[in-house]
Amino acid sequence: MFNKTWKKILFGGFVLLLTGAGIYWYIATDTFSDTKGRKAEYSVKADDFLKEYQTDSKNANLKYTEKIVEVSGIVSATEAADSSINIKIADTTSGSYVIFAFQDKDMNEARSVKPGDLVTIKGSCSGGVYSSILETWAITFKRSTLSNKP
Amino acid sequence: MKKAILALTFITTTLVGFAQKKTTTSAIVTFDATTAIDALPKAENKTVIAAIDPAKGTVQFEATIKNFAFSNPMIQDHFNGKNWMNSDEYPTAVFNGTITNLSAVDFKKDGKYTANVEGTLSIRGKESKVSTPAVIVVKGGAINATAEFSIKLADYSIDGAPIQAGKVAKEPKITVSADLK
Repeated sequence: MFNKTWKKILFGGFVLLLTGAGIYWYIATDTFSDTKGRKAEYSVKADDFLKEYQTDSKNANLKYTEKIVEVSGIVSATEAADSSINIKIADTTSGSYVIFAFQDKDMNEARSVKPGDLVTIKGSCSGGVYSSILETWAITFKRSTLSNKP
Repeated sequence: MKKAILALTFITTTLVGFAQKKTTTSAIVTFDATTAIDALPKAENKTVIAAIDPAKGTVQFEATIKNFAFSNPMIQDHFNGKNWMNSDEYPTAVFNGTITNLSAVDFKKDGKYTANVEGTLSIRGKESKVSTPAVIVVKGGAINATAEFSIKLADYSIDGAPIQAGKVAKEPKITVSADLK
């Protein structure tokens, strides 16, 4: 009787330990999925997107931050960031801009883009902030990917 | 006469170029709080705004907290959460500093210089002094600046069980790299 109870307790403990280890392993090894395969929650034109931030940044941030957003517009600049490249779409009047940092796996595609190209880029929106250095709105994206090749 | 005009144009362009603030919107800041028992708290932000004023020797950085990209979704959530960066309330980290040995850096001449930068780093509404050497490379009017330093999380009132358990470094390493034009 005593042995049976202990066996059950030990078995239960072992199962709990295994489950805990499994959950920890799952969380610790979890990574963000490829943005290319993710569905955009919003698809916007860069001009309209920038205007939303310029007119009501609070609501724009609530709407887009940490969401997958697809933005279309004409590339104003590509900027080297060490070995990687960022793509920038700016409003020529106000200087406000959207900038996309790319997933490592899509860096070569990003390198093929040139200023003046019409592109659609999908990425995780990190929100917009008013830069006190540049005195413009800066909307940043991470883990971006090209939705269309120019 | 033509030569004089050309020379004047060259001098004016050089002087204006020197006087102008050099900026970038693609500086890179990495945050490394990894420890021997946890390799996850590490992130990179590739869209940091930076500016150097060669004439005044001022150095500025502005990083959107939510654009620090972690490999692990849970760690990224924790990083942005209320107990950590509280990025909903404090969306940026801002550094305002100066080069204290400005005479040792000749922004008009190509070369590699060591600048001593001192300033204030503001994170989640708390300010703390930062002092670090930075390597400045001047080439063809463009500036590349790199620096590496540590911050104390306690200076910014950041604490919690993962730090006490040794899963997050108490003094994360920060590296900065910027190509300014």
